Amino acid sequence: MSDTYMLEATGLTRRYGGFAALNNVSFKLRQGEIRGLIGSNGAGKSTCMDVLTGRGRNQQGTVCLNGQDISRLSERERRAVGLSRSFQKTNIFPELGIRQQVQLAARKAEFDNTEEVLAELSLTAIADRTASDVSYGDQRRVDLALALVGKPKLLLLDEPAAGLTIEESLAMARHLRNLAERWKLTILLVEHDMEVIFAICDRLTVLHLGEVLTEGLPDEVRANPEVIRAYLGSTFA
Amino acid sequence: MLIQILNGLVYAGLLYIVSVGLVLIFGLRRVVNFAHGGFYMVGAYAGYTAAMVFGFWGGLIVAVLVLGLIGILLDYVVFRPLQNADHMVTVLVTFGILLVFEDVVQMIWGADTLSVLAPYPFDGTVQLGDILFPVYRLLVIAVAIAVALGLTLWLRFSRAGLYVRASSVDALTTGMQGVDTEKLSLSVVGLGTALAGLSGVIASPLLALSPSMGSSILIESFIVVVTGGLGSFAGAFIAALLIGQVHNLGIVYVPNVASMLPLLLMVVVLILKPTGFARSYS
Amino acid sequence: MSNLSMAAAAPKVRTSTTPPVLVVVGIAVALVGFVLPWLGLPRNILSLLTSASMTAILATGVGFLVRQAGFSSFGHAAFYGGAAYLLVLMSVYTGLSGEAVVLLAPVIATLAAFALSFILLRTQGVAFSMLSLAIAQALFELMMRWRDLANGEDGLRMRLPREIFGLKLSFFQKADTMFLVSWSALIIIIVGLVLLSRSHFGTLTLAIKNNEERARFIGFRTLMPRAAIIALSGLIASIGGTLFALYNGYITPGLLHWSLSGEALIIAIIGGTRSVWGPALGAFLFVILRDFAGNYTTHWQSIVGLVLIAVVILLPSGASGAVSSLVNRIRGGRDV
Repeated sequence: MSDTYMLEATGLTRRYGGFAALNNVSFKLRQGEIRGLIGSNGAGKSTCMDVLTGRGRNQQGTVCLNGQDISRLSERERRAVGLSRSFQKTNIFPELGIRQQVQLAARKAEFDNTEEVLAELSLTAIADRTASDVSYGDQRRVDLALALVGKPKLLLLDEPAAGLTIEESLAMARHLRNLAERWKLTILLVEHDMEVIFAICDRLTVLHLGEVLTEGLPDEVRANPEVIRAYLGSTFA
Repeated sequence: MLIQILNGLVYAGLLYIVSVGLVLIFGLRRVVNFAHGGFYMVGAYAGYTAAMVFGFWGGLIVAVLVLGLIGILLDYVVFRPLQNADHMVTVLVTFGILLVFEDVVQMIWGADTLSVLAPYPFDGTVQLGDILFPVYRLLVIAVAIAVALGLTLWLRFSRAGLYVRASSVDALTTGMQGVDTEKLSLSVVGLGTALAGLSGVIASPLLALSPSMGSSILIESFIVVVTGGLGSFAGAFIAALLIGQVHNLGIVYVPNVASMLPLLLMVVVLILKPTGFARSYS
Repeated sequence: MSNLSMAAAAPKVRTSTTPPVLVVVGIAVALVGFVLPWLGLPRNILSLLTSASMTAILATGVGFLVRQAGFSSFGHAAFYGGAAYLLVLMSVYTGLSGEAVVLLAPVIATLAAFALSFILLRTQGVAFSMLSLAIAQALFELMMRWRDLANGEDGLRMRLPREIFGLKLSFFQKADTMFLVSWSALIIIIVGLVLLSRSHFGTLTLAIKNNEERARFIGFRTLMPRAAIIALSGLIASIGGTLFALYNGYITPGLLHWSLSGEALIIAIIGGTRSVWGPALGAFLFVILRDFAGNYTTHWQSIVGLVLIAVVILLPSGASGAVSSLVNRIRGGRDV
């Protein structure tokens, strides 16, 4: 095991008044790892993503990317050092063409692999269309393409399967796994769909009420009575 | 000096009543009503005409009722059908309404300025220290304070008021139990425009009536609303007080550049605090 | 290769780039403009077209700001009238050469637009419109009240030498020659903006308009590009104002009034802001129709208000959108 982790998050905290949406959360991701971040609604998953990417104000704790402290960098600067994210709510450029916006994102990435990304996400055939004209599922993949282009060091995915059918979700999960292996991506994945999580994650971190409840291999987490009580419920018991 | 500060308070009171109507409508509908100045003007003219039959106070009541009805109509015909459209579309529609209203007012009442006398028993003056001050001006201050108090009580203690406050803090606030939001928006927009009508009538003994009277107060009330923080009731109150003083002192002491002062004040506030004085709470 | 998409690939559809037919029509219209002064049109028509082309420049600036940054300015008279005032004030109060005055007026107005943009950009959405209106109106009041400076509502006459840029001053004050100047300026501006909107800068600013946050998350600065668009839009408006002052030789505070700002925005919207040339089309329609309607009704303002309401609700792409889809239909293409 190497000493430097791709991501080292230490003591992440965000308070709104007296309420801590995220309280002293720490975890580490190794290079090439796919980590699932799970928890019920309000557990702090999206807040955690926001703090990692520098979205919004008032945050404590440190974020290190590949050994470099990026806690004080802006969203823009974090992208420049290789941290990229997708969004839960589709967050694309509706008036731009699909290829046009992926190319735009590529300009600030380490290198331009727009065509490769478009092909991987089956967007090549519709790449010249305006993003607002394509279906919801296509728009989800455009969102993903914007994060994926340039093969970022660390990819944060916020519910990439939201709104997709079960078959689509599982296909996406398998594809992400495959891509991660080929492109040596490190991924932090927030996802509601447990089938997707268990299909592709190496390890899981469980958040509950803004704190880390437990962390471990998928099977360990699945068997953890605390997790079952707090989150998974009877479905996996 | 005292008299200048009092005059500033009078203008501040007027600005507050106009601005708070804008804030009410913005809080619920997320739309800045560019026709608001037009409503203020229509209120003044409607009050003027009705006063010929019912006297000043009767005219005031008629104007407030007519403008309240116009607001309800506005919400029903414009804001509701367009609530899912881009907010700018709605703003442009209200701008179109402003143009039509100005034209219609000019058609009915003519382009000449009309003046209104202060009503009995407020038509005299009162001795303040060694100066005489028109009683009517004190009345304007009192009306503004009454509006502020009434609104504060309503916002704090009624269920509908709570909803309006929540909605002006967070546009995404969804339906609350026990509040019929459709009906509420009708009455809130109606209240907002009724306040525009009230301020128009109240203003008419102070300022002359003309078809362009609406645009000048609209612009200063925009400065008030932006300085106070869009959607903030307390912010509008503080900003109106400040800008009323700045406006008045500017006209007295530096008449050439007076119009720039409220703007400069706003620029300073925006640089220090982009959200305006208050972060959207009553 | 595994595939993320479950849906079949959609057929390739023509994108929203300007159809070549429109380019041809555009070049034809531009050329027709250049021969207009030799067609023996009545003087009043030609002077109407000359003012229309200046209004078109103003509306193009306003429309470009809507198209490229999503900001609806209610205060562009500040740049149009501001440049006109700068020109006349400098010609009266400074010893600068005529050329320097004419060139400096739009430059100063543009720098002011750039500086103001940082204040305007601290607000969002409709607050931008409110602020732009307030700024322009404050300038209007300033010129009304400060009688010693610019004669208040009576206005001020420009004092330029008889010759500037090697041409007689009368060249800029007669409709037939000035039309060529302002028409050329309009064409250059439109062509420049079309090229700009297809450049990286055009894509980036459109992206920021669509989704400022995501633009930051894909690694771009978003403040400077928006400030640059505001400054550019101010530059265009101030070129229009400079030409207006040269042509009329006379300024009044009406050039700064909110009704001119509002008119420019309405023209841009009626013409359609999805295309660069829409606002210019709107300006010619507006000015010619107003002149025509003036013979029949005094309620032009109501007509404008009602047309504005109708266009924003029923025809959001404006007259230029209608023209584009008409051209597509004639070509037998799909209505994009």
